Amino acid sequence: MATNLVAELTQHLNGRHLYPTPAWIQSFVSSTRPNTPLPALKQTALFRLLAADITTTLKPSPSSLFPQDIFNSEIKVRQLTGPIICQVLDIEDIGLSRWAQVEAIEAQERGETTKGREIIRVVETETEGPAITPALQSRGPFKLLLQDAKGAQAYALDLSGIDGISTNMSMGSKLLLRTIQVRRAVVMLEPSNVQLLGGKLDALDSAWKRARKDRLMGAAKTSAGPNS
Amino acid sequence: MTRILCVAEKPSIAKAVANHLGGQARAENVRGIQWVKNYKFDYEFQRWGRSTVTFTSVAGHIQNMDFQSRYRKWNECQPGELFEAPTQVFVADDKKPISDNIASQAAYANILFIWTDCDREGEHIGSEIREIARKANPNIQVWRARFSNIERAHIIQAAANPIQLDDAQVNAVAARIELDLRLGAAFTRMQTLALQNMIPQRDEVRKVISYGSCQFPTLGFVVDRYLRVRSFVPEPFWYIKVVHEKDGISVKFTWRRGHLFDRMAVIIMFERCLLSKTAKVTKTSKKPTKKWKPLPLTTVELQKMGSRFLRMTSQDVMTTAEALYTKGWISYPRTETDQFDKGMDLRRLIERQQQDNRWGGFAQNLMNGGFSQPRNGRNNDKAHPPIHPVNYVAPTQLNDNEKRVYEFVVRRFLACCSEDALGEATDVEIEYGGENFHAHGLTVIARNYLDVYPYDKWESSQNLPAYAVGEIVEPKEATMEEGKTTPPSYLTEPELIALMDANGIGTDATMAEHIQKIKDREYVIARTKGGASGNGGEGSGGARGRGRGRGRAGRGGRGGAAAAQGHGAGAATGGIQEFIPTTLGIALIEGYDNVGFETSLSKPFLRKEMEVQMKAICEGRSSRNDVVQQNLDQYRAVFIRTTQQINVLKAAITKYVVQPNQS
Repeated sequence: MATNLVAELTQHLNGRHLYPTPAWIQSFVSSTRPNTPLPALKQTALFRLLAADITTTLKPSPSSLFPQDIFNSEIKVRQLTGPIICQVLDIEDIGLSRWAQVEAIEAQERGETTKGREIIRVVETETEGPAITPALQSRGPFKLLLQDAKGAQAYALDLSGIDGISTNMSMGSKLLLRTIQVRRAVVMLEPSNVQLLGGKLDALDSAWKRARKDRLMGAAKTSAGPNS
Repeated sequence: MTRILCVAEKPSIAKAVANHLGGQARAENVRGIQWVKNYKFDYEFQRWGRSTVTFTSVAGHIQNMDFQSRYRKWNECQPGELFEAPTQVFVADDKKPISDNIASQAAYANILFIWTDCDREGEHIGSEIREIARKANPNIQVWRARFSNIERAHIIQAAANPIQLDDAQVNAVAARIELDLRLGAAFTRMQTLALQNMIPQRDEVRKVISYGSCQFPTLGFVVDRYLRVRSFVPEPFWYIKVVHEKDGISVKFTWRRGHLFDRMAVIIMFERCLLSKTAKVTKTSKKPTKKWKPLPLTTVELQKMGSRFLRMTSQDVMTTAEALYTKGWISYPRTETDQFDKGMDLRRLIERQQQDNRWGGFAQNLMNGGFSQPRNGRNNDKAHPPIHPVNYVAPTQLNDNEKRVYEFVVRRFLACCSEDALGEATDVEIEYGGENFHAHGLTVIARNYLDVYPYDKWESSQNLPAYAVGEIVEPKEATMEEGKTTPPSYLTEPELIALMDANGIGTDATMAEHIQKIKDREYVIARTKGGASGNGGEGSGGARGRGRGRGRAGRGGRGGAAAAQGHGAGAATGGIQEFIPTTLGIALIEGYDNVGFETSLSKPFLRKEMEVQMKAICEGRSSRNDVVQQNLDQYRAVFIRTTQQINVLKAAITKYVVQPNQS
């Protein structure tokens, strides 16, 4: 039964281009309750896998990883066939100055937003959570830091706007990349070659959100440094 | 004969109206107050027949509201008690002769005909007059004139169609007066008693740290901008520029993305452009375009434009407009309406401007078929039309400020009655290495209203050559450029007025006063933009503030550049004003913010709510009592929180005022 289950789950996950290590599958199966129906187990397995760190849960196979010399910026253009699974470690809106983003975050902290010149107080309703439309809509383009199953990191750019990619996305979300271009060591994301699988890494995500303002302030000050 | 007592809001209006109705009316002195006169004449009223008229005036509000005497002394009650302390309404000592005059005239009059300005305050002043008159003569009939300018025909029209006082408006003002008194006194006393000792005193005078529910949010805007300017961090950005040459014209294409804040990203995109060598035209369009003529003039707009183009403060603009109104040259200058009534005879007003040698020709053209009905804005206060010239006056009869404001009002009015400016816009878009670039060209075909309205700019740009969609072009030049973000500027007067307007702080009639107040209180200093060098107002220096750059007439810079051409007179009183908070101003705002953002007095929310409720009273949806109680409850909560956390306020004073003074 257990081997059967392992096979079922493995097949289910593989169908989504996710290749978990046998150890992960084993520990998952042993953590489940015996009478859970299979469809529910499949869903739970997918959910857990997406919420875990791929550098420890996935079997790195060469075709699903970034090439070893991904960081080589001498190469003008190259194509990766993939499919590659990676997770998002960082995202930056490069269409807005960092300082403008800091100001927007501060306005949000004060519970304010603006509509034209009018300052609007945002009252958080308990049931619906914060119904905040931030004063500055983050529209990108975005620069992301991605990590593959072996831990290799690469920058990526979303220039054309992909649904789900924004500074509001969860850190640790998983992306599936296919036939994707890399220019000067930067992965060029396009709606046609990126699939968002979802998921997040809780610890990373909350740390990232907590430190975002400080990070932006720091970056703004450094970038201004030599020039001013 | 019927005896009619007419009362205007100010002596100048009494005189002007009396002269329109009675020809050369006989002026009699009023005992105890030399600048108020009683004008006596006979007049045939449509409604009351031949009557003996006495036309007098008050000078603003006659009655005062204050606490009963026990609560007037600072040391005899807790400031918090002022939220409930009993109040009384009385005639101020200096208004006694005016009140006595009305009472003695009313005693033998049959009818009281009120001619106060037609706005909320005017309505309330009218009710004060009514009260005094009725006390002296309980049988007196009370009527009110509705008028919005002091032009003869209009006045005669108003005299023929009396209406009733609007008690809803009276109640709204009464609520406003009571709230201003209670909140102003409670917070002023509380913060003064707590903070006064910390503030370095100059001279012998102990400074009162006053509070006003409009003043503080107004100050809040200034401080907010100041802190943004101070904390601003400039950042580099990069962008791509493309030039293409066709038919001997070099066409500059700008990047649709504007600029980005990541150098690496832009380099990659730029390289992609260079690699692709050619670009493709993706869109071309050539279509008629318009620059819309301005909307009819409201008070807020007059003040904003005044400080932008006439180099006058909003306060000066309003005083001047007031004077022009009183003399009958322009309509009532306090109005929110930006639509002309369909029935209004605008041509008659244009006709009168034909004799001017600056815009007379333009007015003539309008009369000869160039006229076009003004656009309608979205506001109508149902009391006054937009500000417009009533009669023609030669510039020689006006002083410098009057000349400028009158010229602006006339030009704006003629512009409103003219056609939109017409042009043709050409747009070309190319795709180059996956990126989009565009070029825009404008040809002005007919300037129309622009000819009389130099405050708007719309000029032809270079002509674009013809491109076809799908055409492959080879850019002559593609470059990657670098720039840097610049801090916002300190808050200018037009911006401040716009913020107050958008956030419901004060009414169009009172904004200028609130701005003046925070200057008088030394919470902010005003200086001419571009005049003083960058570092005025930095920290230190107590409440006195340095760098009062007035009178430097500093032009240039961004504000000055826009200053209108066509002002030959050019005797500038100063450029556009910008505001910088004093250390005390910053400390107060930061202090209140630190006590709690949600209801901080520096924020516009509470006051805006109050303003909305005033409107509700006017429209009969709420009562004076409910509004007063509701607002007192809200502000009382802030008051209690502030007194509990008074140390937070003190800490801010220490940080900005005490410590900088010690070092």
